[in-house]
Amino acid sequence: MPESVSGGTPDRTPRVRGVRLRLGRGAFVIPPLGVVLLLLLGPVVLLALYSLNLRTNIPGTPTAFSSANWKDFLTGTGNPFRGRFFYSMKITVLVSVAVTIAAYPLAYFLAFVARRFRYVLLLLLLAPFFTSYLLRVVAWSDIMLNQNGLVNQTLWLLHVLPHGHGVSWLLYSNFSIFLVLFYSWIPFVSLPIFAVLENMDHSLIEAATDLGSNRLSTFWRVTFPLSLPGVIAAFVFVLIPTTGEFITPLYVGGPNNQLFGNVIQSFFGNSPDWNYGAVLAVSLIAVVLVLMLVFGRFLNTDLRQGEAGAGA
Amino acid sequence: MSGVSRLGRALLSVYFWAFILFLFVPLLTLVVFAFNESATPTLPITAFSTHWFGLAFGDTELRNALLRSVEIGALTGLLATALGIMASIGLSAKRLHLRGLIVAILLLPLVVPYISLAVGLLILLKELGLQISLWAVLLGHVVIALPFAVLVILPRLRSLDPSMVEAARDLGSGEVTAFNLVTLPLLMPSLVSSFLICFITSFDEFAIASFLAPSGSPTYPVFLYSGSRTPGLLPELIAMGSLIIVFSLVIIVIAEGGRRWAELRLRGEAAEDAGTAAEPAGALAAT
Repeated sequence: MPESVSGGTPDRTPRVRGVRLRLGRGAFVIPPLGVVLLLLLGPVVLLALYSLNLRTNIPGTPTAFSSANWKDFLTGTGNPFRGRFFYSMKITVLVSVAVTIAAYPLAYFLAFVARRFRYVLLLLLLAPFFTSYLLRVVAWSDIMLNQNGLVNQTLWLLHVLPHGHGVSWLLYSNFSIFLVLFYSWIPFVSLPIFAVLENMDHSLIEAATDLGSNRLSTFWRVTFPLSLPGVIAAFVFVLIPTTGEFITPLYVGGPNNQLFGNVIQSFFGNSPDWNYGAVLAVSLIAVVLVLMLVFGRFLNTDLRQGEAGAGA
Repeated sequence: MSGVSRLGRALLSVYFWAFILFLFVPLLTLVVFAFNESATPTLPITAFSTHWFGLAFGDTELRNALLRSVEIGALTGLLATALGIMASIGLSAKRLHLRGLIVAILLLPLVVPYISLAVGLLILLKELGLQISLWAVLLGHVVIALPFAVLVILPRLRSLDPSMVEAARDLGSGEVTAFNLVTLPLLMPSLVSSFLICFITSFDEFAIASFLAPSGSPTYPVFLYSGSRTPGLLPELIAMGSLIIVFSLVIIVIAEGGRRWAELRLRGEAAEDAGTAAEPAGALAAT
């Protein structure tokens, strides 16, 4: 076990069956660590075993190591699931980039314009994020974007479109998937950018101005480069959860707009093939882990160091 | 002084408020149509009616689903916060082997996609010879909520002045007593935050619940999903949904306001320093 810890002073060593155990404060990590190992790493290991056909859910099927499913997914010509995967990643990257760009001015407004009320306004911006995700998606799919929905009704009222002729791509399209994901993430993504701008050393900006730099070049040469860690953190905060997204497409996606998460879901549904589904589930985890390896150092959670870190 | 021109300020303000409008309009439509008499949530608004609220409260399946989600959410909040306290105490030990690895494992649930975890837990249950159940949903939710608890509690624990605990120890209290009488009360604001964030995480969770909740006992999101596919049920779901949205907005404001109030009280006058200022953002960032 990794918890061979010595932190306590000798007079506080408990006796267990006569053996002196040196357990300090560090031993307290054992229960939470155990929970994560059993309920998170356990399932991941099992998924890996299923993906290699070492275990199966179909009774009477022989289990032996086989990479056939992996080969099919990774190299099979015209594999539809791989196609879905690339489509998903395209949408995910597009949404993440768009959300990060759109969130920057929001964070900038909070940090530099909304002086006194910035925390109230930050809360206002974040509040929708803490309401039910599913309800927000329902509002878009059943009230805003549907054929007789508010968006089309508004266009009819303004005589932009003749009555009864709605915009066809409002729902069950790439547009609707993009819009609803964008909507869901925008409040949250402003947060890491705001944290960086807020904690920035303002004297650097003043110094640039004093040295004759105009506002625009001060922004591009001082403020923006200094805020990059927050921007990258924001980008990753959307990128990672969106790779596994599958609720939004259930509501506002047509058959051609289902994401990779929906494909995984289908393999564990009515006609289950857990072995193939496991290949897809493990692939998704692998992609996220690679993203974390690439971007992880920008997510400064301050837990490794001893400092009391605040910003995300 | 901040390098933003008057025009820039005006444009940024318009941009910000336009986004606030964009964010709140869909939520407001839920509330407006909850009171509309029409059986479909479309314009025109026909007449004011509280009919759908009556139906929603009379629907035992909806009520039971909500109760299940509240119970699972509350238990998730309690269990994850308790585990979060343990993890934070452990991680704040002066010497801890493999600290980096332990932190990485504890935060891993943040990055494993819920859909992969959900199907993985389904497999785990089968391998253990267990049926899907609400207990399994609860355990799944505890795992995904745990990192949030750690991210909220640990910075708070680290920021405590060690001399306070030392004073209690010098005055003769044991380690456990000192923890209960000194550390725990000082941690309280972060424990409340942790509970609420874990509760919301569980209450809103769909992927794990959709695989692990038995079909006869759905959680609220699972019920909402299947119900909203049934046109006849939609109006009452919108009515209940609007209540939940208003309720959660009120809770967020109270929780954040209360937390800041508590922080200010505990910190005294040093409230304006950057550390305090950044902390609400930090606590919220955990989700």
